[in-house]
Amino acid sequence: MTPLDTLYLASAATLAAMLVLGDWRRAGVLATLMYGVQLALLFTMQRTGSTSFDLSALGFELSWRFDALSWFFAVVTLGTAFFASWYGAGEWLRAYTGRRRLFQSALAANVFAMLLLLGSGDLLTLFVGWEATSWAGFLLMALAGGLARDAALRYLVYAMAGAMALLGALVVLFQAGGSFSYEAARATLAAMAPGPLWALIILFGLGFGAKLALLPLHLWQAAAYSETPAPGSVFLGGVVGRMGLFALALVLVGLIGIPHLQALAVPFTFLTAQDVVAWVAALTVVLPTYTALKQNDARYLLAWHGIGQGGYMLLGLIVGSALGSAGGLLHVINYAATQATLLMVVFGVRHRVGHTDLNRLGGLVARMPLSFLALLLGIISLAGLPPMSGFVSKWMVYSSLIQDGRPFLFLAAIVGTLGTILSVYKLIHNLFLGQLRAEHEQLNEAPLSMLIPMLATATLAFVTGVAPGLVLGWVADAQAAIGLPVIDYTLGGIASPRASLDMLWVVGVMFAGFGVGALLFYGAGGKTHRVHQLDNYAGGHFLDAGMRYHYSDNFYAGLMHLIGGWYRGSFHWLEGAIGSGLSLVAQGAGGWYRAINPAFYLLAASVALIAWVAL
Amino acid sequence: MTSLSDIPVIQTPPEAPARGGNPLANVFDDFIRYCRSRSLFMLHYCTGCGAIELPPAMTSRFDMERIGIQPMVTPRQADILLVTGYVSVKTLKRIILTYEQMASPKYVIGICSCTVNGGMYWQSYATAKKLNDYLPVDLYIAGCMPRPEAVIEGLKALRDNIEAGTSDNWKDYYQRYDHYLGNQQRLFGADWQTPTEVIAEAKHYGLFGPDTLGEHTRRLEDHRKPLEPLRMTLNAGRLEHME
Amino acid sequence: MNVASLLVELVLMPLVAFVVGLAMVLMMRRIAARLQRRVGPPFFQPLFDIVKLYGKHTQTSHGLVHDLGIVMAVGGYIAAETMLPVPGMTGIADKGGLVVLAYVMMVPSLGLALGVGQCANPNGSIGISRALTAMLAYDVPFIIVIFGVAFHFGSSNLITIAAAQQAAGIAGWGVSQMPLLALAGLFALHGMLGKQPFEIYVAPAEIATGPMVEMSGKHMGGLFVMQCFQLYTAAVLYVTLFLGGGENWLSFLAKSFAVLAVPVSLAYLFPRYRTEDLVRLMWKWPTMIGLLGLAFLMH
Repeated sequence: MTPLDTLYLASAATLAAMLVLGDWRRAGVLATLMYGVQLALLFTMQRTGSTSFDLSALGFELSWRFDALSWFFAVVTLGTAFFASWYGAGEWLRAYTGRRRLFQSALAANVFAMLLLLGSGDLLTLFVGWEATSWAGFLLMALAGGLARDAALRYLVYAMAGAMALLGALVVLFQAGGSFSYEAARATLAAMAPGPLWALIILFGLGFGAKLALLPLHLWQAAAYSETPAPGSVFLGGVVGRMGLFALALVLVGLIGIPHLQALAVPFTFLTAQDVVAWVAALTVVLPTYTALKQNDARYLLAWHGIGQGGYMLLGLIVGSALGSAGGLLHVINYAATQATLLMVVFGVRHRVGHTDLNRLGGLVARMPLSFLALLLGIISLAGLPPMSGFVSKWMVYSSLIQDGRPFLFLAAIVGTLGTILSVYKLIHNLFLGQLRAEHEQLNEAPLSMLIPMLATATLAFVTGVAPGLVLGWVADAQAAIGLPVIDYTLGGIASPRASLDMLWVVGVMFAGFGVGALLFYGAGGKTHRVHQLDNYAGGHFLDAGMRYHYSDNFYAGLMHLIGGWYRGSFHWLEGAIGSGLSLVAQGAGGWYRAINPAFYLLAASVALIAWVAL
Repeated sequence: MTSLSDIPVIQTPPEAPARGGNPLANVFDDFIRYCRSRSLFMLHYCTGCGAIELPPAMTSRFDMERIGIQPMVTPRQADILLVTGYVSVKTLKRIILTYEQMASPKYVIGICSCTVNGGMYWQSYATAKKLNDYLPVDLYIAGCMPRPEAVIEGLKALRDNIEAGTSDNWKDYYQRYDHYLGNQQRLFGADWQTPTEVIAEAKHYGLFGPDTLGEHTRRLEDHRKPLEPLRMTLNAGRLEHME
Repeated sequence: MNVASLLVELVLMPLVAFVVGLAMVLMMRRIAARLQRRVGPPFFQPLFDIVKLYGKHTQTSHGLVHDLGIVMAVGGYIAAETMLPVPGMTGIADKGGLVVLAYVMMVPSLGLALGVGQCANPNGSIGISRALTAMLAYDVPFIIVIFGVAFHFGSSNLITIAAAQQAAGIAGWGVSQMPLLALAGLFALHGMLGKQPFEIYVAPAEIATGPMVEMSGKHMGGLFVMQCFQLYTAAVLYVTLFLGGGENWLSFLAKSFAVLAVPVSLAYLFPRYRTEDLVRLMWKWPTMIGLLGLAFLMH
């Protein structure tokens, strides 16, 4: 039995255990332990070239194997599952009123399906894994009912449309090459004419892009991820969307290859296929980020940022240089730790307060200081500021764009980051800073079972920020697995004459600076005296506890005066237009079919079929 | 119940600052005091007509900035509270709140006759006559209204007083809080309170005097809602339960 | 470079930055005074202000985050100064570079924003919301400038950029090679300093100095220190990118003060823009000039 077999067996065993024992009150602990075991198994596995079983069905060979890219994504998957499950193992599970067995099984099924997808050894297995992941995801999104069910159904429409596109792509590819194996596909694609290749890129893009929530296929994601029960949301938000990136990396970079994309020109323009994908990624960075800026629910705000961060990953990947693609891939793991932290904090607040409405909170730092700390580290990382890990991966993407000479993509990436800074400040301000409401004065800190995982992921995001070399090795191997140039890294970051980064020094000096700042503040000058929040400047007005003295709604009013009119809801309009167009066509076809003698159509169709077969 | 006016108000002169024998012993304090006297941020609480004399004092004609004085906006930032005219009872409440929110050392300057003795509003039922009954005034600039030259002259006098260490009436407010509070209560009623905590601050900085607490502060304790700073805590609910 | 001399540089660079920054604050206030036909503050006024503020007897704080915000604001700039090469000292400029510096410079702003948030004063929060919006506005031209400079010199390493300009002489300076970008950069610099007409986030008469509303004593003192660093960083960064960096201290300081004098002199001639007008202006003129400069540069 190969190590990969063992891993699959352990994952299947987790699923089986949850199906049987999911209602047990310690089921969460058991699941966490079993995810831990899977993670440990993964780490004992060799990073490159582990194969598992082959199957034969209907004359097709199905095979599963792990390469360094699969391994890298599997680490992120299992790591997120481990912490998400831990988060939901204690007090959260006791307070959970939904169907526990269903929930635990859905989470385990997601992990299993994703591991199957990551291990796919040919295009057919990829499709099988893709479908399994989509349906498992649907299960997790839908089980809360209500709003969640609606969101999940919307997701399903996108996923099914994507699956059809994917199926179409596979059919085209099989027809051209006669095999589903990666090697055959690579050879076929290399020899393919521009027309069919474009069709394939668009079909694959639609199929995988729906999962990654690339523009314009992104509308489903925020609601579907936000309305899921807490650990499910952490898992979905942290890693599930990244399966789309994995598949795109496999197909666009691994099979088609960046040089081929660069050579493929868009007719009648100066653009190449690479530019088009990069611009889709850049727009995915910018537009959802500014949608996030307008959200008033902390969960939705983070989910919209999740869509935007997916754009950074694809952007870095598609630049194709060693630095850029390493940044894109590194962002997967950095983002997972970051987003998991943020969502855990937000759901921790929800656990205590009962809602995550940014207009009805504030001042919680006095009551939930450790959650505040975790959220602070998380937002610094999400916004891509040093010393957190989000900075390192984004810096690599920026630097690669500078080196490649792509000013507009660079500008788009930075504008996305600036929007993120604005929106995460709103998040931390409206949740934790400002005035504490009277009804929240008795709040407790989030329970320990929720605090430990959130602080652990925050620590991970910090440590991989200070010493990115710890994970850059994995990234370098993954780059090699899909034929990208491999990054040259050090423990502290990148050493290259054109753009170097040594986070050990940067962070060291930053903390030294903070130390001096603290010395200046606490050492010099008199001791401070804490005052009550109502002892506050209000132009001489007397504040009392019944008075709201807090600024939260329409937080960026000035900016919105200018850009508020630019939110046109075009994508909602597009979605609605396509939906109503389809239903119109369907109604028309149905009416026509019923109005005229159906037997005639049957006859005509049969004749046409016989003619096609015969010819 | 004793009437408020029956409660005796203790009047003690402010203590003179202690001087050490060694001339170098206080060199650091002297330096700080020098900087204090050279950098004065001013909050002008423009209650009356005297305010009109301040713009010329600040701008190109007389330029306060050349003696280190700048206007500031909120009480937290300011060192000088400049009250520029008659003080109605309603305004006085705001002035007291503003004064209590300022960081010590802080100085109060009353401009115009109205702050000295009510001026032309002497007979008004709605104005407080003597500002130093309610706040420790460091300096009066009398006149109706005083010219900008007089304002500058007054500010220079304050600067010299600060440098000499003779202008620390702000300590008096902590040390004889009961006296000031008594006068305030007499004017505003027994349920008078601000959202600030003078007693806690005096305790924190060791500025307690013999007359910080008294009959009036006891009266305050009776009715006021506590405004302790929000402590950072992990289990506020349980803490409350234990109490 | 050995460890001892590196340590000396790491200590000296922020110290120099602070002292020069004090002088820059003085220059700013003197220029303002002269433009308004006033005498202006005495020579040591910036120092008096800071010592006075730290020496306040009572120090009002709204909680731990309020204090730590100031620590971050001052500390972040102290760290940033060590990444900014000056004549004879490079610190850790080779470990990060231009993009890192641009992001490290956001850390103090974040610290300040956190500290202000904890004050629970809506004026402060409004100020921060405006300040962040202003950042979004001026960073767009600033980023175009950063891209152009890094692209032109083929490196984002500030030492390399300065050395390349010094080797080529005045004709090789950024300002001669990329005049349009230099102009856009000056615009962005002005926005970054937050002086009139771009000081909507302070707006004393409207939101009571915004972020500073609840700052007293050493909290305010920290912000004064931060202002020194801010002026210094902005000026020196501009000099390094466009004016050949520092060959020696004399020309370096002369250039830095001259650069700063431009926005400061303009500042007191204009009333302030509203937030959305500020954004519109920044996204229109300097951005267009910058993009035009970039177009010349890349073709």
